[in-house]
Amino acid sequence: MITAERKPIKEIKEMLAPYRKILVVGCGSCVAECAAGGEKEVGLLSSALRMDAKASGKEIEIREMTLDRQCVYEFIDQLTEVIDQYDVVLSLACGAGVQAVAEVFPRVHILPALNTTFLGETKEAGLWVENCRGCGDCKLGVFAAVCPVTRCAKGLFNGPCGGSKTDRCEVDPDVPCAWQLIVSRLEDTGRLDLLRKVHPPADWSKQQGKGPRKIKREDQRT
Amino acid sequence: MDQKGLGITRAILFCRQLDPDQDVNRRAIEKELGSQIRFFPLPCSGRVDPLYLMRALESGADKVYLITCPEGACRHREGNLRAKKRIAYTQGLIEEIGLDRERLELIITSAGDRKTIDELTRDILAREGVTSSVNPNDADIEK
Repeated sequence: MITAERKPIKEIKEMLAPYRKILVVGCGSCVAECAAGGEKEVGLLSSALRMDAKASGKEIEIREMTLDRQCVYEFIDQLTEVIDQYDVVLSLACGAGVQAVAEVFPRVHILPALNTTFLGETKEAGLWVENCRGCGDCKLGVFAAVCPVTRCAKGLFNGPCGGSKTDRCEVDPDVPCAWQLIVSRLEDTGRLDLLRKVHPPADWSKQQGKGPRKIKREDQRT
Repeated sequence: MDQKGLGITRAILFCRQLDPDQDVNRRAIEKELGSQIRFFPLPCSGRVDPLYLMRALESGADKVYLITCPEGACRHREGNLRAKKRIAYTQGLIEEIGLDRERLELIITSAGDRKTIDELTRDILAREGVTSSVNPNDADIEK
């Protein structure tokens, strides 16, 4: 899941200052799950913006919409009939969704209401944690499904740094030591021998240095 | 609750477990006060959503109250604790647009002094100094 957080309203207001008719568009997928950009958050932000405008004597018109996904054309197309009626789209999607809408509607002003943060999981109600960097070279199979690239503060591939205390990371005691988790899980599943292998440094060329990555599958294309 | 102006000045959201006769009691005081007040009974105060609070303010309420069961007395265990967090979240949001956080108020009722919803409402109004004009029969409230 892609996680995000709402920008401060002050920043959103500054971006919206030149506009009067605003289409606020949420996304019902990842950012809804992390309570940043779903239908409820669209309502909250729209209410706040309307009240703020009223208090400052500014006339604005807001329409609220939430698409199931803001990064897939079939859903973005739902905006086609209404988008021309507005001066700007305030998108509560992740960065991918904002750009996808902008690409479909090249002449429309699109603004982001969220800061996209990381790939993560819902750990518990109201708590999301990062657990994937999208490095393009997944090694979870040898690290007992615990990612040392993301969850070890030092990104170590060949054992713990030795600084952890009572199973906690020395960089952030709120976080469990990833290597403690890896060793415990390998032990519990009888695979400690996997630790004998020495791993070379991560190959970051699969993630960066070549511009935006893409996945192309002929079998999925029309 | 939509965001169209309702002409209300106070919105009171409350846990309907507080008062077994809440339906009759709130209707009586609603009739008395007219558009000055609007009640929104909730199955549990934990059902409140920040959006309800924002919509109430946007509808024109000068002040929005959320009345919960006493702490530790929620029949759903943690409903009133969640209500407290949601009020705090929404207070932060309205502060961001320059509104006074006091326009949203959480009232946690007292375990030792159970009151009906109309009594609780009169207490709120008394605090605002409007009791005498709306509640001529309830002389002992201000004691």
